[in-house]
Amino acid sequence: MTEKVGLAPPVSPPIRLTRGSYGFKQRVIDLSAQSIDACYQCGNCSSGCPLAQEMDILPNRIIRLLQLGQKDDIINSETLWICASCFQCTVRCPRGIDIQAVMDTLRQIALEEGIDHFGPGQIDPEQAAEVPQPGLVGVYRKQST
Amino acid sequence: MTKVAYYPGCAMNDRASHLDRSARDAAVKLGFELDELDKWTCCGAVPPVSEERVMNLIAPSRILKSVRDSGRDTLITICDFCYNTLKRTNFSVKSDIITRKRVNAFLADDEPERDYIETDDSLWKDYTGEVKVYHYMEYLRDVLGYEKITDNLKRPLNGLNIAPYYGCVMLRPLNEIQLDNPENPSIIENFIISLGAEPVKYSYRTECCGSYLSISNPAASTRLCYRILTSARNSGADAIVVSCPLCFYNLDSRQQAIDEAYPDFKALPIFYFSQLLSVALGVEYSRQGFEKHYADVSPVLDKIGGISGKGDAK
Repeated sequence: MTEKVGLAPPVSPPIRLTRGSYGFKQRVIDLSAQSIDACYQCGNCSSGCPLAQEMDILPNRIIRLLQLGQKDDIINSETLWICASCFQCTVRCPRGIDIQAVMDTLRQIALEEGIDHFGPGQIDPEQAAEVPQPGLVGVYRKQST
Repeated sequence: MTKVAYYPGCAMNDRASHLDRSARDAAVKLGFELDELDKWTCCGAVPPVSEERVMNLIAPSRILKSVRDSGRDTLITICDFCYNTLKRTNFSVKSDIITRKRVNAFLADDEPERDYIETDDSLWKDYTGEVKVYHYMEYLRDVLGYEKITDNLKRPLNGLNIAPYYGCVMLRPLNEIQLDNPENPSIIENFIISLGAEPVKYSYRTECCGSYLSISNPAASTRLCYRILTSARNSGADAIVVSCPLCFYNLDSRQQAIDEAYPDFKALPIFYFSQLLSVALGVEYSRQGFEKHYADVSPVLDKIGGISGKGDAK
């Protein structure tokens, strides 16, 4: 059986709260206009997410890390690039957090840091010739600067 | 014939032009005309989330403003991405005064004659979200009525079991789209019933097909599409009907990759809603672009032709 990273108990060094972590959290709140602290970790977002099994950090854990301002963990996570922006989490959140908006904001911040995930060089030319344009526009807008 | 403003969007204008054609054919049969906007641009496909990205609202706002300026208040689109982007942009412009002012400040650059010192007799009129954006199916439901379809059926799809597939952006997020219940929708089901076919209940109709991940992470999209297609087939579907060109591409063309990855997979024909509609209203099969499909649609077409006896002679 393959190891499911997203479901394993988190193994991480003790979390350190700094002034920087507060700044990061505040930036996300300002950009996304979502109340991050409303999350009480029910896990509805992760259980409904069709792509959760591919993620290294589940959506609810992203929100928890965000509450603690753990920028590096979040920005370097694969989760941001696996999310397909399907709004399932947004629709199901009982606390009314638009999680998709939070993910988009995190992607935006990651891109600002220069973490480009996808470029024209990585696309299969055969596919590029036939995929409908919304897919191409979508992937470049979400995953590259 | 009533003319309704129509925004085709990039996919419908180019790679999926057969879907655009079927939507126009069906409209004519139903007594209205899709009147393509004189000048339009890409809507941007994905709406921005943060306030800083007001730039991404400009293109859709410009499209919406051109509809209003031409004296119309209704805009139809047949692509879910365009629908989502245009409707959400309209929502932000309508509900958020700061966004509205910023967007209009940019739009004003298009109009060199604008008097920047606003006076009462200024020709400029801010776009405030007056246009109502309709999905083609929403227009059928709310404006035209399903009876109109049922009355005009030439080839009723009796005996076909069709699985509706909603995907993600057609229904969500609820507060901005307000089309249907995002968890238990019924708009495509009712559409299928109006064509005389039987809607199939299955588990994955609102589950994402992977959207643009099809390009950046094909394996993930393959898995999601496999789940959707298998679930529909196991529930007895003869075909799936979709309303988004990207869902169409993922569910149809991806069947080749699914076939390689999952040995138990069986192909399932995919139709765009406008294709089924125009087929049921009596438009020839040759105008539907079925040759562009990956999954073979002939079993379904045989069933339609066989039952009503009015299929095209092959």
